[in-house]
Amino acid sequence: MSTSDEKDLVARCREGQDDAWRDLVDRFGHKVYAIAYHFTLKREDAEELSQEIFLKLFENLHRYDGGFPLVAWVLSVSRNLCIDRYRRRKREKSFRFVSDEAVTAMLPSEDDPAKAALRKERAQMLFSALADVPEDLAEILILRDLNGLAYDEIGKALELPEGTVKSRLFRARAEVARRIRERQESRNAPGAFASIAMAAAGLV
Amino acid sequence: MSCHELERLFVAGSPDSQAKAHRDGCAECARVAADLEHTETLVSGLKAPEWSPKLRQALLAIPSLTANCEQAGALIAALVEGEIGDAEERRLRHHFARCSGCAEASETLAAARGLVAPEPPAWLATRLAASRPPRKKSLWRSALSGKMVVVYAYAAAILVMVMGLNPTAVVRKAGFASLGESTRSAVVVAESSVGDRLGAFQEKALRTLAVWTGHVGGYGRAAVSNAIALVWRSESKKTPTRPRSAKEGGAASLPAEIRLAGHAGAEPFAARFRV
Repeated sequence: MSTSDEKDLVARCREGQDDAWRDLVDRFGHKVYAIAYHFTLKREDAEELSQEIFLKLFENLHRYDGGFPLVAWVLSVSRNLCIDRYRRRKREKSFRFVSDEAVTAMLPSEDDPAKAALRKERAQMLFSALADVPEDLAEILILRDLNGLAYDEIGKALELPEGTVKSRLFRARAEVARRIRERQESRNAPGAFASIAMAAAGLV
Repeated sequence: MSCHELERLFVAGSPDSQAKAHRDGCAECARVAADLEHTETLVSGLKAPEWSPKLRQALLAIPSLTANCEQAGALIAALVEGEIGDAEERRLRHHFARCSGCAEASETLAAARGLVAPEPPAWLATRLAASRPPRKKSLWRSALSGKMVVVYAYAAAILVMVMGLNPTAVVRKAGFASLGESTRSAVVVAESSVGDRLGAFQEKALRTLAVWTGHVGGYGRAAVSNAIALVWRSESKKTPTRPRSAKEGGAASLPAEIRLAGHAGAEPFAARFRV
């Protein structure tokens, strides 16, 4: 859909045409829900956040001037809400804990239980490491690697030059990998089991 | 990390071959590249769960549950007029809960409708009454008004006096008791005051006549004196030109016989005329 078609779609939404609003929801509903899910890692929270985002889209339809792709505008409108929810989750003690349920929902079905367990463990490691990464880096990685948005879409939505987006993405990937490696190294180090057991017993 | 070449190549969008060539010669970047590949492996295959039909329905229903600022204007106008339906009002109330600007605008408009006009100050009422154009009366109403009855009474009294009769006696003879109430009262007024009014009128007329007479006499005397002065000058061979000031022997130096008796300081004629 071209930019003029997208502008026309928004104009029809503003006029109160139900079919236009349905088109908008069907085009972006799944994408918005996916982004919301990656920021919240809970179905109920993601649904609530998606509704909040679409409510804000509806209230701000008159602000879309067709200057850039509609997806970038949708993303820019939803960004602050996602970041707010992410920060709220970050304040919770369980922020670094990623449940089985949260990652299982993201994995394709696997017949082999061993492979399924390995994938689940990797996904948990990824999101746990992502929780330790600075917010601006984690945000880029979620949008690009988990949701497949283009660099220019991310740049327009976050008001960043494309080079900055790429640079942050590079650092985000490297940082996540470094933290995962460090955890694995500390887990495999001699005496790691004893320290984990003492921590579990509350002796440390 | 001290070497940023791999990051530079990535940002510049360089081909993988260049990155590989650098990686082979730089141990630090080789380790970073391995980290990146690891992350890529972790991320690949992760997909967000599908959105539920329930969520889709909830998103589709948003326009029927709330309003945006553009729609709120018309809805606020309908609300203020009391011509809004229940569903529309619910949409508007939902919008108010999220938009303080529209809520404030609605409150302000509603409050403006409840305002009471203040009492005008007393001076304004007086001015308005004074500026009201006089009411035109019809000819008959004017002719039969109380004022005109008094005027008729005066006119009749004067006519009777001109005929040499006593107005009071005439009225008595004419059967005063048979007159109507308003006419009777008008005649009473006329009877009681007509003598005084006529006396005052006569006195004023005589006074004005005396003043006119004095003026005419004064002007006449001044004219006579000026004529004498002219004759005097024409008969005198050595008549000098008229002095321009008292020092040069003006009015004060004129002979006593051409001075106007009774005139204050024998003012020049022209000056008195102006007065």
